[in-house]
Amino acid sequence: MILIGLLKVERVTKNFGDLTALDAVDVTLDKGVILGMIGPNGSGKTTLFNVISGIYTPASGQVHYRGQTITRKRPHSICRMGIARTFQVVLPFSQMTVLENVMIGALYGSGLSLREAKEKGIEVLEFVGLKDKIHTVPDNITTHDRRRLELARALSTDPEIILLDETMAGLTPTEIEEVLDLLREVNKRGITIFMVEHIMKAVMTLCEKIIVLNYGQKIAEGAPQEVAENEEVIKAYLGDRYV
Amino acid sequence: MKIPVSAKWWAAIALVILMALAPLRISGYSLRFITFIFMWIGLAASLNLLTGYTGYLDFGHVAFFGIGAYITGILMLKLGIPFFPAMFIGAIVSGITAVVVGIPTMRLKGAYFAIGMLVFAEGLKHVALELDGITGGGNGLSLPIYTNYVFFYYIMFSTVLLAIGITYWFERSKFGLALMAIREAELAAEVSGVNTFYCKLIAFGISAFIAGIVGGIYAYWMSFFYPGDVFNVLTTVHMIIMAFLGGAGTILGPIIGATFLAAIEEFLWAEFKYTYLITVGFIVVVVVLYIPRGIVGLIREKVFARS
Repeated sequence: MILIGLLKVERVTKNFGDLTALDAVDVTLDKGVILGMIGPNGSGKTTLFNVISGIYTPASGQVHYRGQTITRKRPHSICRMGIARTFQVVLPFSQMTVLENVMIGALYGSGLSLREAKEKGIEVLEFVGLKDKIHTVPDNITTHDRRRLELARALSTDPEIILLDETMAGLTPTEIEEVLDLLREVNKRGITIFMVEHIMKAVMTLCEKIIVLNYGQKIAEGAPQEVAENEEVIKAYLGDRYV
Repeated sequence: MKIPVSAKWWAAIALVILMALAPLRISGYSLRFITFIFMWIGLAASLNLLTGYTGYLDFGHVAFFGIGAYITGILMLKLGIPFFPAMFIGAIVSGITAVVVGIPTMRLKGAYFAIGMLVFAEGLKHVALELDGITGGGNGLSLPIYTNYVFFYYIMFSTVLLAIGITYWFERSKFGLALMAIREAELAAEVSGVNTFYCKLIAFGISAFIAGIVGGIYAYWMSFFYPGDVFNVLTTVHMIIMAFLGGAGTILGPIIGATFLAAIEEFLWAEFKYTYLITVGFIVVVVVLYIPRGIVGLIREKVFARS
């Protein structure tokens, strides 16, 4: 079986009033890859994630996953089908323990029982390096740990694809290295990664392919080096003078 | 400091036995007063099931109490159905109504849900006033008088046990964890695979079912009620204050909050007939400002501070 085009975003357009947040965007995500997405603020990156994960319904266009159209499915069904995500602004369940946070994903995303979910939760937390904090509440852990918790919760749903929205924002260089290693390990386990990231070093080293959004349009796509030298991309980030 | 789990169970069992045997020793006013407190615990626990666990603040919760009362009353009077089945049907209708009303209102967030439900409850009051052929309108409904206070004591007590039992299940189950996740971050719960809309509706239905039972018992107990009485917005306010005073989203919260406030009000009402509402208002301000997690939360923080 040729496992190409696990997730296909076809000419997706999304408007907010007069603003076109996404303008006929096409994305193909192949199984097992790490795809990066960059673009200036407000270029539509998070909106695209919201469309894929079912939070927004696009005005036109379709999202296909494993041969099924998932455009109008609700977020929880999309999660159960195998697409997990993290949020740019972390959304922990504040009054629940770190373990309970992760158990939610295991219970509902992968449909486990309480006992199984607990085991799974501990396993995932060990994987991301939060094992010694399982009984702490998210308010009492560092930003870095909260981002790892967000990742752990997504992983606990047993995803095939994981959408990462700026997992490294606000981290120190050492912490970024740790996350990079972690993501490589996630990818090795067979999970396809689609990530939005502003930290160029991370994107350049981790991703095989990068797509660039600007004002809701895909302006470039290709290997990291190609994209970095692309005139359109330089214009979008720095303005005409720098081309 | 930590109390062993077995000690908590023994304390709970002892309290239940004590309450079950109470009618052997006490009667009259005291028994009625405890029944009254049970009613408030039942209502506060009902609100707590929804608001304490999903975070949806229902300012129209009295609607389900009122539906329970009216359905029970109408079935008994007009169709001659005995009390228990009538009460049960009333509670079921309450639960179903919550699910149906929840389909539009549970899409609203925060204050908008609260306002939507407030309007719904006020609307129902006027429906009850207008449909005087069935509800007796403003004249209210008079049921056959039944003065067996021990009966009402036990049935209210059973309702409290049921409500607390469901709360315990919420605390320990997969379903309860989903509700708490909805309370903490609904969007994150949804993308983690929780069918948030379905879970909220079920919680709403269960919560309204309990309020409906209490309403049905109230109708038979009081034997006379009218729309302004069983759809009184102050009843909702009381449920909210009690749940939050005790500690929303906890098992003991509604028990402590309802007992405390009902007891204080009874005392204040007897002693200061005209100023007691001011004092109650003052208590509410203190709770909101200084103990936002309620008495249970305060005790947990101060006495059992997590290491």
